[in-house]
Amino acid sequence: MPALARAAGAMKAAAAVLGAGLFALAHGAPAAPSDDLLEPDQAFRPTARLLMGPPRGTVPALPAAIQVEYRIAQGYYLYRDRLRFDVQPPGLPVMPAEFPPATAMDDPFIGKTFIYREKVTITLPFSANVANPGAYRVRITAQGCAEERFCYSPFRQEVPIVGTAPSP
Amino acid sequence: MKGWLPFAGIAVLATLAGTSLFLAGRESAAPEPAPGAVEVTPAALLAARFVDAEGRPQSLAPLAGNVVILNFWATWCAPCREEMPGFVRLQTRWADRGVRFVGIANDESEKVAAFGRELGINYPLWVGGTEVMDLSRRLGNRLGVLPHSVILDPQGKVLETRIGPYAESALESRLAEIVVKSP
Repeated sequence: MPALARAAGAMKAAAAVLGAGLFALAHGAPAAPSDDLLEPDQAFRPTARLLMGPPRGTVPALPAAIQVEYRIAQGYYLYRDRLRFDVQPPGLPVMPAEFPPATAMDDPFIGKTFIYREKVTITLPFSANVANPGAYRVRITAQGCAEERFCYSPFRQEVPIVGTAPSP
Repeated sequence: MKGWLPFAGIAVLATLAGTSLFLAGRESAAPEPAPGAVEVTPAALLAARFVDAEGRPQSLAPLAGNVVILNFWATWCAPCREEMPGFVRLQTRWADRGVRFVGIANDESEKVAAFGRELGINYPLWVGGTEVMDLSRRLGNRLGVLPHSVILDPQGKVLETRIGPYAESALESRLAEIVVKSP
């Protein structure tokens, strides 16, 4: 290898280590100030919308599911197995929630737990022909944490279901 | 060709300094001040009722005269469990200077008891229902997060209310200030 190339490689490596050092210096400050604290509704932002089924011939598509999407603030995570959903007012025959794969987290005391970061979409299937599913709301019980800082005790959220079924 | 060596040296030093600062910051950082107002009088706090893991009624009243660290926690809360071994050591070191820790959880008593045994917790662990988090909120924990630590003076007055893990060294420094001032 020519001497120039070797020197350039070494400089690149040194720059990477320097970058890591500066990063570590920048993060040497103590915990974030209290104005960083997010309300549960700011840290975990749910929305719900109707997912339409495939159209069959000339028959308009029927709503097939409610999709609940969570936007999760950076540095926060949501526990998969502590999420509970129900639809208000009662009457919409919603089946058990379908969860996408979650990140496994090993907990020395409670074993393996599964969490979501950043964004997750959970599906609540239903197959009934309901006149106006958009009149319903999804009520959620959730639990999550700010990484290495604190955990929220179970909190409740309620969101409207956006979108309406097509006219029959 | 050897011109890069000084840069590498500086980089290594910066990395070491940054890492040390980061670790020192984590170890000594005090948790964040709880974001709400304290709405509980000392009398109401001393009268609040809890139960221990065996179901026996408990209250803070018998602890009056001590500096009490009231720690709201839960077995499912990882940051809560991280700080507790430090509390065990502090309880041992400060017991003869009138400092008492109490853990209060809105949790299942069997889980709390198992956790206490497994980690050798040497201070009382009490449990309660939703009233536990109601009390925590009225002690400044507006967001209802855990862990939440409240330091009470010997008369039951709230001296400090904080959320997030309380590093052992930071709490020890705080106790040293408080115990000197307390009669």
